Amino acid sequence: MKESSDTRVLPSTPVEKLRLYGVFFFFAVGFLYVLFGLGYRQLVQSTDLKEQSDSQSRRVVLRPPARGRIYDRNGFPLVDNRARWSVKADLASLQKEFRAEYVRLLNAEKAREAVQVDREKLMEDARVRVLQGWLNKVWFVIDETNRTTKLRKPTAKLAAVNAPGERQVNIEELRKHLRERRALPFTLVHDLAFPGTGQALTADDGTKSVARFIEQFPVEGPIRLESDIVRTYPFGAMAAHVLGYVKDTDSLPDNVDDISEIRLESMQKLHYTGKTGAAGVELSYNHVLSGLSGWELWSKTSSGYNQTRLKYSAPVQGSSVMLSLDYRVQQAAESALAKLKDPQGKLLPAAAVMLDVHTGEILSLASQPSFDPNRLADRVSSDYYDEIEKAGGWLNRSTQGLYAPGSTFKVITATAGMRKRVVDWDDALDCGAFFRVGNRDFPEHEPVGFGEVNLDKMLAISCNVWNYQVGLRTGVEALAAEARRFGLDTPLLQTVSDVETGGQPMTELPYAVSRGLVVPDREYKHRIGAGAWNDGDTANMSIGQGYLLTTPLHMACVAASIARGETRTTPSIIHDVSRDGRHVGAQPIGLNPAQLEALRGGMVRCVEEGTARIARIPGLPYAGKTGTAEYFKKGEKAHLAWMIGFAPAENPVVAFAVLVEGQVDTNTWGGKTAGPVAKEMLEAWWPTAVKLPAEDKGAR
Amino acid sequence: MDQNRQGARASYVALAIFVAAWILLPSAVRRFNREAFAEFQAPALHLLGKSRDLATFWEKKSRSTEELAAAGRDLARINAALEIKLNAMDDVRRENIRLREITRYNVPAEYLSVVARVASRDSSSWWQRIVIRKGRNDGIRPGAPVVFGNTVVGRVTAVHLTTSEVDLVTSPGFRCTAYLEGDDQNRIVLVNGVAAPSLGAAKARVSVIPHDYSMPAGQPARVYTTGMGGVFPSRLTLGYLDGGTYSTQVGNFKESLLLPSRDLYNLQEVSVLVPLHQNPGEALMQGDQFQ
Repeated sequence: MKESSDTRVLPSTPVEKLRLYGVFFFFAVGFLYVLFGLGYRQLVQSTDLKEQSDSQSRRVVLRPPARGRIYDRNGFPLVDNRARWSVKADLASLQKEFRAEYVRLLNAEKAREAVQVDREKLMEDARVRVLQGWLNKVWFVIDETNRTTKLRKPTAKLAAVNAPGERQVNIEELRKHLRERRALPFTLVHDLAFPGTGQALTADDGTKSVARFIEQFPVEGPIRLESDIVRTYPFGAMAAHVLGYVKDTDSLPDNVDDISEIRLESMQKLHYTGKTGAAGVELSYNHVLSGLSGWELWSKTSSGYNQTRLKYSAPVQGSSVMLSLDYRVQQAAESALAKLKDPQGKLLPAAAVMLDVHTGEILSLASQPSFDPNRLADRVSSDYYDEIEKAGGWLNRSTQGLYAPGSTFKVITATAGMRKRVVDWDDALDCGAFFRVGNRDFPEHEPVGFGEVNLDKMLAISCNVWNYQVGLRTGVEALAAEARRFGLDTPLLQTVSDVETGGQPMTELPYAVSRGLVVPDREYKHRIGAGAWNDGDTANMSIGQGYLLTTPLHMACVAASIARGETRTTPSIIHDVSRDGRHVGAQPIGLNPAQLEALRGGMVRCVEEGTARIARIPGLPYAGKTGTAEYFKKGEKAHLAWMIGFAPAENPVVAFAVLVEGQVDTNTWGGKTAGPVAKEMLEAWWPTAVKLPAEDKGAR
Repeated sequence: MDQNRQGARASYVALAIFVAAWILLPSAVRRFNREAFAEFQAPALHLLGKSRDLATFWEKKSRSTEELAAAGRDLARINAALEIKLNAMDDVRRENIRLREITRYNVPAEYLSVVARVASRDSSSWWQRIVIRKGRNDGIRPGAPVVFGNTVVGRVTAVHLTTSEVDLVTSPGFRCTAYLEGDDQNRIVLVNGVAAPSLGAAKARVSVIPHDYSMPAGQPARVYTTGMGGVFPSRLTLGYLDGGTYSTQVGNFKESLLLPSRDLYNLQEVSVLVPLHQNPGEALMQGDQFQ
């Protein structure tokens, strides 16, 4: 091998040296640039770059917390949580099956020599068929009737919508899931205990279906069992209007960044569907009942599926709320109302309220017809919505129903008359069969009249003519002023700011109440374009008819106020042992002791021997006032039955109001229809009264 | 040297061909091979089990007279105690029969009990699986629960002619529902085995324990079967909640490890409760029928 004769390795001329140094310099600058860049990224940008990398390769999955419980005043859970078991398909594990099914379908299309093959559609069909096959297996196991039968091959027909009982894959849901939450498992059966229908498959509470799946379905494979929490209302429809219900929400309490030690805000977040309050206490105390979300940090695959769970933090259950309701009284009220039916057997719309005279805490707030919040807590069928709508079940008649108070208003007419000194407690007025006002005779409800009637007797027999006379002597302005003094024009139960509690909101009742209350006067009638006020309007108003509109809760507050000798009662649905019995805007009633005694005594006589005697309870003397108001239903005359009162007669502890909407073909009267409801409520409350000694509550 | 290389290459090629052939074989053939292998090794397992029984026999036979006399005394005491229990059970049985006659209540037996000796533990999963000396010939079917006394041992996962494989409670493939002692509302919880690390102790886990459940004071809470899943009879003991790990919060529930109530090391004999009726889960275990 010939060696080269040129042995030079270094430049010898200055020009060559310069060139060489130039090259060295060029490389040195290059290396320095690279070193500086690496150092900059390592030392300065490392945090940002790590976050960027994490945000691309990791994601956070939020898990909803369990909501807090709702208790009655005795600690019985009115709203609870139960475990819900759902069946989910891990789409990442099913990729091979999807692909194989897709290829099979594609080959079938080719064999058919189809001109145009919609590959997207084929892929969707493949996914649905595979998932349907697994869903068939799930049903094969959970349905107890499949004791010995064999599973048919999964020749599922494709369904555009979910068939009853979640027996078919819902294509719309699958599309949405792949669009929005591809990384999470797809839910095949939302609630194994009540699969799709809201009804258990078996005679038990649905536990058997869950147990059958757990014990019989293969553990390994793409089908998973997941458990979460669902809201449950152990008493069903009881107090549904107060408790409200929950609905699905995609906005979970996003407190993850506050509670985690790693910065998660820049990462993609996925979440399971949570629950939020939609009505009642569930809505207004949502901020208390909602807990803190749990989170999971996952690494993800290049195709966007979750791969490995890296970190985890458990959700924190929301706080509990204790209501002032007493479930025994509430149950009694609702069961008494449920006995009121029209000739066709349909429930009469009605309401019943009972509250603590001293604190205003509500023991019972019933409204009929109602709804079962259990059926609204999960997947709600539009049929059930329509059913409630048709029955008028959404309206809380206790707080939102507007009715003429009828003869229960006579306690206010009497108070106004005595305060204006146009009548005194022992004045006897001549009360015939009718009373002439202008050119019209206003009738007594007794065809022969009552003769000499004083306040005591008027309240017992509910004499109309006494009230016409006193109302006209008092005048509309004084009558309206008295009604306003008792708060009949003031929407109750809203969030009010109590300056004495440092400006903190003192939430009383959790939902909007009717703002359509009417205490009419001359200006009101003029405003609605009904002409000038006349004496006939005053006579009507004095017996609680005409334009007057109020709610059962307002009338219960009127009864409680009279029991205390005051004008206002602030009702509350939250149980608070520290309540001091002060009521917003309350004043002394403004009657002397004899007048107040006569007013209360007349109400007691009403129960003992008057219009409410049907509701008498041996051993429990109490005060009551019945009312039967006329109203028009679809142009035909019908009656509202009322009864208000307080109990016991001495040292009263509770006040109540009952209203029943009579129909055109029902025979509805205050004492006869509303009285038994009041009686049953009091009978349920009375045994518990030992826990509420009147002396302890400063009763007078 | 070249010959050696050629030989090595030939063996690699042979291995590759064998692997490729195995992969390409129809699944029925592969299953047949697996079954054949299980049947091939079954006599060895039988022999192993029987020789262990023989060894135990001779070990006991070699005990001294004093030891045997002491064991005899202990046995006599135990027998006396059992006699009393037996009498009490007789009373209960008679009462049960009397009540059934009065109410004309006649529940058919749901299970057939087959007693089987343990042949071996599966070497691939020491803690998790045992092989028993009863199989298809004895009426054993896949999915059947396996018990020892009143305690769940596991579940049959594979059945051969004369042997069967049983996944223990601590196997990751084991899953069943349970009630917790002290939970008045009888809410179901989930019991499943946990994949154990190499040479680590096998475990089972109790999950989905309601938040408001609290363990009875003074003793570990018994975890027992619900009888609702169609596989396990009710009220069989699965184990006890491990007080040390109880109340670990996972999601909205609590979780605990399960302390198996019997020492799963020393099982020598078990009962297989073969259901009289096939349930869907059993059918699902025959995978090929459903694809």
